[in-house]
Amino acid sequence: MPRKSLTFKIGELKTDIATLKNLEISLGRVEEEWEEPLGPTPMPSITSLRRWDYKLLQRYKPFYLPFCDLCCLCTFGKCDLTKGKKGACGIKMDAQQSRIVLLACCIGAATHTGHAREIVEFLVERFGRDLPLDLGDQVDLEAPNIRLVTGIKPRTVGDLEDVLDYVEEQIAHLLASTHTGQEGDPIDFESKVFHAGMLDHVAMEVADIAQIAAFNFPKGDPNARLAQLGLGIVDINKPVILVIGHNVIPSIYIVDYLNETGLKDEVEVCGLCCTAHDITRYNDRAKIIGPISWELRFIRTGVPDVIVVDEQCIRTDVLDEAAKIHAPLIAASEKACRGLPDRTYDPVEEIVEDLVSGRQKGALILDMDKVGEVATKVAIRLAPERKKFKALPSTEEVIEEAKRCLQCGFCQKACPNSLPIPEAMAMAKEGDLSKLAELYDYCIACGRCESACPSKLNIITMMVKSSEKKVKNEIFKVRVGRGPILDTEIRDVGRSIVLGEIPGIIAFVGCANYADGGTELVEMAEEFLKRKYIVVASGCAAMTIGMYKNDEGKTLYELYPGNFDAGCLVNVGSCVSNPHISGAAIKIANIFAKRPLRANYMEIADYVLNRVGAVGIAWGAMSQKAASIASGFWRLGVPVIVGPHGAKYRRMLLGRKEKRENWYVYDARTGKKVYVGPVPEHLFYAAETKEEAMIMAAKLCMRANDTTKGRAIKLTHYIDLYKRFYGKMPDDIHLFVRRLADIPITMKDEILAELEKKGWKETEIPDPTLIEELVRVKEE
Amino acid sequence: MMKFEPYQTAEIPGPLKAIPVERPQTVAGIIRNAKRPIVIMGSKTFDVVPEKTLRDIIQISKQVGAEIVVTGGINKKFEEIGIKEFKSMPAMELADRLRDPEWKGFDGKGNYDLAIFVGFRYYYGWLILSGLKHFSPEGFKTLSIEPYYQPHATFSLYNMKIDAWSNYISLIKESLKEKR
Repeated sequence: MPRKSLTFKIGELKTDIATLKNLEISLGRVEEEWEEPLGPTPMPSITSLRRWDYKLLQRYKPFYLPFCDLCCLCTFGKCDLTKGKKGACGIKMDAQQSRIVLLACCIGAATHTGHAREIVEFLVERFGRDLPLDLGDQVDLEAPNIRLVTGIKPRTVGDLEDVLDYVEEQIAHLLASTHTGQEGDPIDFESKVFHAGMLDHVAMEVADIAQIAAFNFPKGDPNARLAQLGLGIVDINKPVILVIGHNVIPSIYIVDYLNETGLKDEVEVCGLCCTAHDITRYNDRAKIIGPISWELRFIRTGVPDVIVVDEQCIRTDVLDEAAKIHAPLIAASEKACRGLPDRTYDPVEEIVEDLVSGRQKGALILDMDKVGEVATKVAIRLAPERKKFKALPSTEEVIEEAKRCLQCGFCQKACPNSLPIPEAMAMAKEGDLSKLAELYDYCIACGRCESACPSKLNIITMMVKSSEKKVKNEIFKVRVGRGPILDTEIRDVGRSIVLGEIPGIIAFVGCANYADGGTELVEMAEEFLKRKYIVVASGCAAMTIGMYKNDEGKTLYELYPGNFDAGCLVNVGSCVSNPHISGAAIKIANIFAKRPLRANYMEIADYVLNRVGAVGIAWGAMSQKAASIASGFWRLGVPVIVGPHGAKYRRMLLGRKEKRENWYVYDARTGKKVYVGPVPEHLFYAAETKEEAMIMAAKLCMRANDTTKGRAIKLTHYIDLYKRFYGKMPDDIHLFVRRLADIPITMKDEILAELEKKGWKETEIPDPTLIEELVRVKEE
Repeated sequence: MMKFEPYQTAEIPGPLKAIPVERPQTVAGIIRNAKRPIVIMGSKTFDVVPEKTLRDIIQISKQVGAEIVVTGGINKKFEEIGIKEFKSMPAMELADRLRDPEWKGFDGKGNYDLAIFVGFRYYYGWLILSGLKHFSPEGFKTLSIEPYYQPHATFSLYNMKIDAWSNYISLIKESLKEKR
């Protein structure tokens, strides 16, 4: 239940025995006033929405892709689970795979929850529980996920503590169900996976609305300014502070220190990964280097004078890498201490001296003010001395290094993308660095090749040097993360989305583990922008989209407006900004369609599944967080497509379009069961190529509620993409055409011929729902 | 590189690993013994398979009456080199159907008993083969004819250079021709 703490404050109380001053007494929590009645599932338990999950999983069945034949989670094992064998506890392979997926999603959800808790605790300590959650005058529905799931309408940062209490409790239950001998059914595991994802969106929303409100990030501004992006943007003549991670608070205190001390023009602050997104939302001088794949590359340039890491997607060997370039490392999160001495309570000057002198390679500092001051002082002191390290090896040195290559091929076998590194080395030792430069575009800079190399070649550094011209020209622009979608925008586009007249919302999310380079993501984004889809981006994907320029030197962010509207490109922000995307779908159901929101998850998800043509594309998804973010979208009825590496998430959720019995819904007007075709066909799909992903995305935007005009528009894009990439008509059009009016006029003859071949007949267009209780009038 | 170890270092398989096939004649025997084989060619086909070898694979499929299915959108390239008789389906959708004993196949005659894979990214093929290894119906087998060892297939070729591999594929074709 939504609650409020009741607090009495007494300035001064005199009694016979004592005088009390500033006495504050909290008397627990009381019911909160909120005009909207409480829905059926406030703070759902791990089984409250199981019924909904089963409906989804009946349609979208898991296809497991085991990473390993074994279970090795307890001392009964290792257990061989091949070909139907059971483990010592009785578990079978399908349940084991879904169990691993649940573990991954718990890790992801816990990570964002920990992040959110850290932000909220910090803000409560600094600003008090009553700091208002003001997201601007065009965002009344400030927390759609929180309201939908918990039934709480948060008004202050303190209210978010209750939300996090709930999320943390639920994650503990989910994690407990993965223990040996607990859950054993794969579908029940999958239901719990959905629960973890839903919780993740709540936790991320907590983190982002708290930081938006507290630090005055853009509040849904479609015209949020453009920030600089790329390896070539840093002024190496200034001291350089590199921040890496996801929790922006340490970076904010660095920027604040620079501002307070008048040093803001003297020092460069640049970031990697989501911290970079968020620091540009706070400060107009901060710069983004790039996604996680740019971490080794940038460090190897030797440019950073000091590196500050907070939490999450940071290389675990960052201390070693920093030491190689003689840059001290400051760890600023309890979750990633990196083995460093805790200097939180030491005087600033002592810490600075130890880091500048090299007596210590780094320090753990958990006092944010101190992080700001130490990082700045160290960078300023070290920058002049470090000039000699701010250089890549010479071309001659790269050629000499290549001569040590044994052509053993271990690098290529270790490379996730099997890049032909030996071939590039063979050319390099002859003085031709072109192949190494070419590989730079496809390399995810994980460094596995270097670990495998018996000659200890610095392969990443060699690639960066070989691409020096490209690197220097990595000067791009990205729109700063704007945060929420405005309520007014939802009112403007809600109808067109639900009726299908805007062909869909395509959200590019996730990490940068690309199988064939980041340009694929840009190509996909541009394709859908040109086709007037609403294109949304977050996290590393949002950076990648900005990392390529057209012939006129403009990035997509400069070419397309930042509104939530057809043909526009919205960067919501960092990983924790993803709930603004799920939130937009929820807002459509609530603001446009007036569906009750508060604690009413199943109805809203049913609405989104059947009406809101949204699809996520996580082309380089890598992390456990990406897994839980995706699972939050699934439960809400939003399909997700991943790139080839995404197959490593161990299972797909696939529909079978030819199984007619799987594609019936209730007509809410009559209660009759009506066939609506395979819309959307899958819930989770790993595409082999970008072409396949684009066709699939266009197809997955179709929804049961599309009007004939809307369906015709969506079919036009699906068929057009299919024909362009595959050279023929798709063979499943008959499943998506319900009425003759669905047929795009420009393709009428072709489609009619196809329909005739398949013996197509017209079907009804219902008011679709999977939930029997939403039927308004039942048939006699 | 060892002949029968996974091509990517960390993709450690087991305990159930592909039966390695050293002789092309043995592969020909496996294909010949299948009642309903299907040849599945992935998105990397044109990156790794020389055209002569591609034509040999197509010839092999014709020799045994196997349907060819292409995945990942290489349809156009097939047509560009004059190959018209093939089906197409996204790889995950196809794999999902191959594990279903009720699936009627492309020709409506029922599911297949041997799926022959070539032209996939190593890890992508690795995972699909793993899914089929664990969840396919009794009697269903997979054969990887990639130029490297694919441990989750029922049968797999071994790690070899492209020239040697092309020769190997050619010998499969010859062997099938001899025994017709």
